[in-house]
Amino acid sequence: MAKNALAQETVFALRETIARLEGKSLPALAAAQASQAGHPAGGDEARIRTGVDFLDEALDGGLPCGGITELRSDGLRHAGALSGFAMALGCLFQRAENRPLLWISDRMTASDAGLPYPIGLKRFGLSIHRFLHAAPNRLEDALWLAEAALSSGIFAATFFEVRGNPAHFGLTESRRLSLRAKAAGRPLLILRHGGEEEASSALFRFHVEPSLASPRRLPDGSMLGGSIGSSVFHLTLEKSRNAAPLSLHLEWNHHDRRLIALDPTERAFSFERPTALSGASLPKALDRQDPAPPLGAVLAFDRAS
Amino acid sequence: MRLTALDSHAENMGLKRGQGLAEARAIHPALVMVEEDEAADKRFLEALADWCDRYTPLVALEGRDGLFLNITGCAHLFGGEEAMLREILLRLEQMGLEVKGAISSAPGLSSAVARFDASQIIGEDEHERVLAPLPLAALRIDDATVQGLAKLGLKQVGDLLEAPRAPLARRFGTQLLLRLDQALGLDDESISPRRPVAHLSAERRLAEPVQAEDDILELTSQVAQSLKPGLEARGAGGRVFELVLFRVDGKVFRLKAGASRPLRDAARIAKLFAERLKDVHDDLDAGFGFEILRLNVLRHEAFDHAQKDFEGEDERHLSLADFVDQVSARFGPECLTTYQLRESHMPERAILSVPALGHIFKPVPMPEAAPLVENALSGKERPLRLFRHPEPLEAYAVDVPDGPPIRFRWRRLTHKVCHAEGPERIAAEWWLDGEDAPTRDYFRLECETGQRFWVYRQGLYDQIANPSWYMHGIFA
Repeated sequence: MAKNALAQETVFALRETIARLEGKSLPALAAAQASQAGHPAGGDEARIRTGVDFLDEALDGGLPCGGITELRSDGLRHAGALSGFAMALGCLFQRAENRPLLWISDRMTASDAGLPYPIGLKRFGLSIHRFLHAAPNRLEDALWLAEAALSSGIFAATFFEVRGNPAHFGLTESRRLSLRAKAAGRPLLILRHGGEEEASSALFRFHVEPSLASPRRLPDGSMLGGSIGSSVFHLTLEKSRNAAPLSLHLEWNHHDRRLIALDPTERAFSFERPTALSGASLPKALDRQDPAPPLGAVLAFDRAS
Repeated sequence: MRLTALDSHAENMGLKRGQGLAEARAIHPALVMVEEDEAADKRFLEALADWCDRYTPLVALEGRDGLFLNITGCAHLFGGEEAMLREILLRLEQMGLEVKGAISSAPGLSSAVARFDASQIIGEDEHERVLAPLPLAALRIDDATVQGLAKLGLKQVGDLLEAPRAPLARRFGTQLLLRLDQALGLDDESISPRRPVAHLSAERRLAEPVQAEDDILELTSQVAQSLKPGLEARGAGGRVFELVLFRVDGKVFRLKAGASRPLRDAARIAKLFAERLKDVHDDLDAGFGFEILRLNVLRHEAFDHAQKDFEGEDERHLSLADFVDQVSARFGPECLTTYQLRESHMPERAILSVPALGHIFKPVPMPEAAPLVENALSGKERPLRLFRHPEPLEAYAVDVPDGPPIRFRWRRLTHKVCHAEGPERIAAEWWLDGEDAPTRDYFRLECETGQRFWVYRQGLYDQIANPSWYMHGIFA
């Protein structure tokens, strides 16, 4: 009997060790917490909810505050969508805690995809008070910088931009970063321009592709055809605890600073918008900024007498 | 080719400076000759001047082979003038140099004695006595004047002292008399030090040289502690610090580190150099160790006492300052940048990228410019990323005259536009770019693949025959 209990104890201890290694909450603790607060499982680390229910479910409750989220695109030509989605996530992190942001990019990407433009970022919904941009010369320096930024715990989110899959940024380095992030409880967003899927310590990996923007909404609720409204991203959740891959279209509403899931059927319908081009589908510049003044301007003449 | 310098052995054999090489070789076939490298000589002299910084901060180069040290107020630190001169000469001789030196109240006199007489200290009333037997070249005058005076039978400085001044000035110019007066100490002569004198400086001389980085940092922290009273007395904190390390064999290392806000705390100052040392790790060859460690404050600013309890956010602000200092010390201030807003409608001028060090804690917009800057912020659609230089694109089909491009080629890819917004017309700033700078029409374009771009047409169709198109930024 006593032997049996001892064996069970060992099994529990092993289970806890495994759970800790995997970054999950301890099974016994989690059950207790779930019953106590009614939270879904995974309450041991802070999570930021994305606001899209089925995405939150797939992410075990939201984006990890103390961990790496990796975003990947097919190439530099999709830099806009990739940085856009990263900024949107950064915005969610910043909404929870208004702190500075740090954007680390290598010189190549900075020159090929452009520099983050604070006025545009502000318009996108980020708070750009104390926005820092770092462009180290070498990848090793960039990694050091990311580690220092994470362990200092100052930044609401640290963005780390790399191109492709450099040899010096492998599993070991990403493990280091992940441990730093976990210790400080601060998120790191890795943006991989044109990267392959690779083993890493990121908790989640998204594949980001651009998608047609939703049209601007008019006050009466209808859509203004032909306009470019909120940005839409086509995401594929490639790495997560859940086995099923998830593909979805998310719209970033920069006014409300939230993500909205687009209904795939509606989306399919909206794709039927005529995309064949004719000059007429593009706007005529009627409401340009400096229209020709109307003829016959009224002049105030001096009185004759 | 001529001989420019000789060692004492060669001088004893009867060779002279300025002698032809062929002639010298004819006299002594076994002559060892090294070609002169002026740049290397200069570097060596500068390294020596660096080494001499240990005696006084005011060190100047004199000619090709001399150094001036202004030791006013320093001599007592080394046990008086005599002991100081002895120590300097001894240590330089130990390095294998042949050196002569003189201490006097006039730089010209010291220079003359050091070059043409034995090493000595000249008292205030001995100037004429010492100077009189020296040759005229000792006065630092040009060769033509020396030869001209020699023709008149004036060969020693003493001959000049007795000669009437007016005819000398008429015939050889005032330079001769100026140099004479300077050598006699009648006329002031200032030497120009190589480096600006630090506002504050503290140093530690070590009996046992240190090599390890940790020891250096520990000592830096201790030395920084002794700077604190000086900074407090001025009500200031240091912004730029310099750590000077004197290696035992005479090499001097200088490390500079800046702080994002004025600092007094020894631990934080030491931390700046912790990063700096890691960065220069490979270049900093400790050799047999460092014997003197000096910390200079090159720039200081008023220390704000209020910064410690600033709206209860002190912890965060201080640590942001720490982070900025840490990164800037390691990779240089250009690595980490922040931005400033400008009053401009031109997108690339509205934002100015500035080093985070020194700017992160300054208020971003100027108070009187605030409403305008707010306008710039809240106004039109602006891209997430802006190209440093707008990239030209090839527009195949364009809605003329005011419309967007319908198909265009950029970076070897053809894009088909399916939605467009614009134009947003931004006129050039004539007060900067000139009156005929072209106007830009900006368009937001969405391509079939979902990419969103910000392009502009430079110039209007009714002004230019074929305006060019540029890609300026990308949207999310």
